Amino acid sequence: MIIALIGIIVGLGIGFYLPITFPAQYSLYLSISIIAAFDSIFGAVRANLENKFDTVIFTTGFFGNAFLAGMLAYIGDQLGVPLYYAAIVAFGVRLFENFAYIRRYFISKLRE
Amino acid sequence: MGNKFYIFMMACIVGLLMAFTLNNTSGEYRIVPFKVINDYKKVIEKEQVEIQSIRNLLNETNEKIEYFKGEQAEGNVGKALKNELDEYKASAGLLALEGPGVLVILSDGDRELIEGEDPNNLLVHDIDVLNIVNDLKISGAEAISLNGQRVVSISEINCAGPTIKINDRVYSQPYIIKAIGNPDYLQAAIKAPGTYGNLLKQVGLFVEANTSVSITVPAYEEQIEYKYLKVIERSEKP
Repeated sequence: MIIALIGIIVGLGIGFYLPITFPAQYSLYLSISIIAAFDSIFGAVRANLENKFDTVIFTTGFFGNAFLAGMLAYIGDQLGVPLYYAAIVAFGVRLFENFAYIRRYFISKLRE
Repeated sequence: MGNKFYIFMMACIVGLLMAFTLNNTSGEYRIVPFKVINDYKKVIEKEQVEIQSIRNLLNETNEKIEYFKGEQAEGNVGKALKNELDEYKASAGLLALEGPGVLVILSDGDRELIEGEDPNNLLVHDIDVLNIVNDLKISGAEAISLNGQRVVSISEINCAGPTIKINDRVYSQPYIIKAIGNPDYLQAAIKAPGTYGNLLKQVGLFVEANTSVSITVPAYEEQIEYKYLKVIERSEKP
């Protein structure tokens, strides 16, 4: 949990420091990808707590989900249907589920 | 420890992506409501229609140029110019025209006067004729004549005692207005509730509008002499 937070903060620091920009019209796809990746991180933390962590599953899920979410947003844009809502809802729900599990885990650990 | 390292790396990537997005979206972006987007869309569509019409005009002009060039090559520019002159004459009212339209008859009413009523109420006045002609123009009349006199840009419709003066000639009732245009629209301009013609009819005047597939509007016969007009010279390249 803490390692993930530290990682995000380090990444933010590096990202702000690096002078990299990309075209503004891709920002939507990137935001959706970030939600997917975020979900993967939470899932990994949870799996780690459950001692079910698998590197291959985590890595493929991380990149696959991010790519699929970005593609969904792109296809939706081309079709004129906001398909990225599907990604937001799906990953959002999972994000909260994972977070709820992590929260309960730590609370129960504290109470012991 | 390997697990944690992986999670750390991936979290770093997420942080990087977030930083990129934040870098990009900070500042000049803000949320635009759908209504504004819609309004802009409408404006853009309108502009596109206008652009299209201007393009059509350009095409027409180009075609005309091509036509004249072709005629010039064949050596009969005079004929082409005459055709164009006829067109302008038709729109200026110097040629007799024919087409579908409407025939309006205006006449004094024949009902009994109510005691104390102003008899002027039952007479056709110049203003009535003017309003009817104006209504016809609004409804897309392309050529109008009143009692055989073509209504052109300098035609007057004026009160002359019990008669009406148009194109310097005096006519008495009934006033017969012929107009070329969409017959349904023109008839509606006279007969529809709330129009001036309908009002006149309710007051008690005789107003009738009949559509016809073929209305003939005569040419303007007077000589038009301009004493004060001067054409402003326009430079070739604006």
